[in-house]
Amino acid sequence: MKIKITIALLLVVLGGTSFLSDAPPKLHYLKLTFPKDWPKPPKDIFATNPLTEEGFELGKKLFYDGRLSKDGNVPCASCHQQFASFSTYDHDFSHGFNNSFTRRNAPPIFNLAWMKELHWDGAINHIEVQPLAPLTAANEMAESIENVLRKLNADTAYKRMFKAAFGDATINSQHMLKALAQFTGSIISCNSKYDQVKKGTASFSMSEEQGYKIFKAKCNACHTEPLFTDNSFRNNGLDINLQLADKGRMGISNDPSDSLKFKVPSLRNLYLTAPYMHDGRMNTLQEVLQHYRNGINATQPTLDSLLKNRIAVSKKEEVDLLAFLYTLTDTEMVKNKRFAATATYKMHEGPH
Amino acid sequence: MRTLFICCFLCFACVDGIAQPAHKKTTPTKNGYVKITFKNTINGQPVVLNDSVYTNPFRETYRIKKLKYYISNFQFSLVSIKKIVPVKRCFLINQADDSSLSITLEVPATRYDEMGFLLGVDSVLNTSGAQTGALDPLNDMFWTWHSGYIMQKLEGTSPQSNIVNNKFEYHIGGYEGESSVLQTIWLNHAISVEKGKTTSIIINADIGKYWNAAYPVKISETPVCSTPGALAKKLAGNFSTVFSIADVIQ
Ligand code: HEC
Ligand code: HEC
Repeated sequence: MKIKITIALLLVVLGGTSFLSDAPPKLHYLKLTFPKDWPKPPKDIFATNPLTEEGFELGKKLFYDGRLSKDGNVPCASCHQQFASFSTYDHDFSHGFNNSFTRRNAPPIFNLAWMKELHWDGAINHIEVQPLAPLTAANEMAESIENVLRKLNADTAYKRMFKAAFGDATINSQHMLKALAQFTGSIISCNSKYDQVKKGTASFSMSEEQGYKIFKAKCNACHTEPLFTDNSFRNNGLDINLQLADKGRMGISNDPSDSLKFKVPSLRNLYLTAPYMHDGRMNTLQEVLQHYRNGINATQPTLDSLLKNRIAVSKKEEVDLLAFLYTLTDTEMVKNKRFAATATYKMHEGPH
Repeated sequence: MRTLFICCFLCFACVDGIAQPAHKKTTPTKNGYVKITFKNTINGQPVVLNDSVYTNPFRETYRIKKLKYYISNFQFSLVSIKKIVPVKRCFLINQADDSSLSITLEVPATRYDEMGFLLGVDSVLNTSGAQTGALDPLNDMFWTWHSGYIMQKLEGTSPQSNIVNNKFEYHIGGYEGESSVLQTIWLNHAISVEKGKTTSIIINADIGKYWNAAYPVKISETPVCSTPGALAKKLAGNFSTVFSIADVIQ
């Protein structure tokens, strides 16, 4: 009897040590891969957050877990839906906690490694601190970091995953944020038809080819290939929405010359991310082109100089341009199971 | 039975060993310590949160609820040989947490003429992603909607404040170019450090000075600062004047 107890105790102790010990866990390191001819990211977003299978999987679980929000119903993935290229499908503004709305259109998530700043106004200076904004915003997940950590620390599955990824079963904000960054930073869009044409494994139709020429002449200066954004802040001549009074970059820099400037959005996966612009004011790409053709407000002093004379796109050109823009749709990325919620947990895990 | 028991005991010992931090580095014999204590005061009296009522130079009365600020990148200088000993660490001084008010640093034993520190968190740490310890966002000193640390936080109430609940809230920050509020404070004082021993440095932070240094802060006119920019710079300028060395005890 006594022996049995001692053995049991011994097992508990041994089991306990392997879970709690500081022995370095075996990590499966990953590399961010993208086409060779792409520009290098301005900085290595994983320089102090080595990308591993364990960290990525943990980040994914967090991304899909409603418990990160106050009422359990607003995971990251509720606003960033994979089938919509991780934007909010068919919504100008996304729904946050308690029937609130976001103040801006949720951008899609991919190719974050090339962004020096995140959010439409570049308010966020590092991918790792980005989740703090939605987690704590009253109109998004409305939760406190303390509470999130309390909930995660009460879950042994999480403790095990954090232990595996970061060598520490006590979950802290730094490891949670780094895990999320491993997931969001790994989402790369580089396999659209456009990319396949570049690789030489597909070819454009006549119309797409024509559209590509028009694109290069009229849009590429800002929506620069191969990312289809130069990640700069510019004013493309939208009238200010007086109710929102959103001055974009100026709200961050306090510099009047930044008034009404927003981060140039990538045009990749455009067909999945309607509605368009920072406030989702345009529902179709036809409307967008109509804006560039004759909707630009030329009285704004900060209007981008490239748009002073508007962009003439004839109706014939429009057809070809839209055909080209369609080739930027990366079905592989939006169907990639690697980025999808795993079966063991669902987006809405129910009340907690 | 016995062996099992011993084995079990060894296991416990082993767990214990693992739980300990890696062997503490033995102090190189040439080093000593400085224990720096921040005493936040008003009119020569320690700041008492919530309960004490103070009066600023504009005859506005106020209570303080929160007083927190970052101190980092210590430097100890030997003026005679133009040498500076830097200690790159970051601390959050929080009036609500006694244990945060004293900092112990290891430095080469010698006689220093001056000590300096950065009031705030340097721009590298502001842009390096998720941090821990003093810089953990849990400390409520990180702007989530506009990345960057709040370098100084002074919050309270005053009947002269015309905003909700008679609050005042100074969240002072900004690390970039024009809007940077970062300042290195140098305090002149002989500081002798002997090897293996601790020298205590008492820094007086006279918070009363904050209201009327280079820039007059009237609660009735300026009850809030919540973004980097011109106002934050002026307030930080005021804050930088509060520090002096009250005593050095060997
Ligand atoms: C309630 C909806 C909502 C939730 C929940 C939400 N987001 Fe967002 N997300 C947005 C909106 C809206 C923006 C644009 C914010 C802005 O520009 O001010 C955004 C922006 C982003 C961006 C920046 C993309 C870019 O191109 O700059 C990333 C990355 C991101 N979110 C990741 C996350 C993560 C990770 C979570 C969970 C921790 C999350 N989001 C939760 C709505 C949401
Ligand atoms: C001077 C730079 C510039 C040029 C040239 C330009 N754009 Fe834009 N574009 C922007 C900016 C900036 C935005 C974001 C504006 C906002 O939301 O406030 C934008 C937004 C868009 C959007 C919305 C994307 C989304 O996800 O919401 C589309 C679509 C678009 N542009 C297509 C085009 C096309 C097609 C062309 C060429 C005919 C073009 N743009 C030329 C700067 C430019």
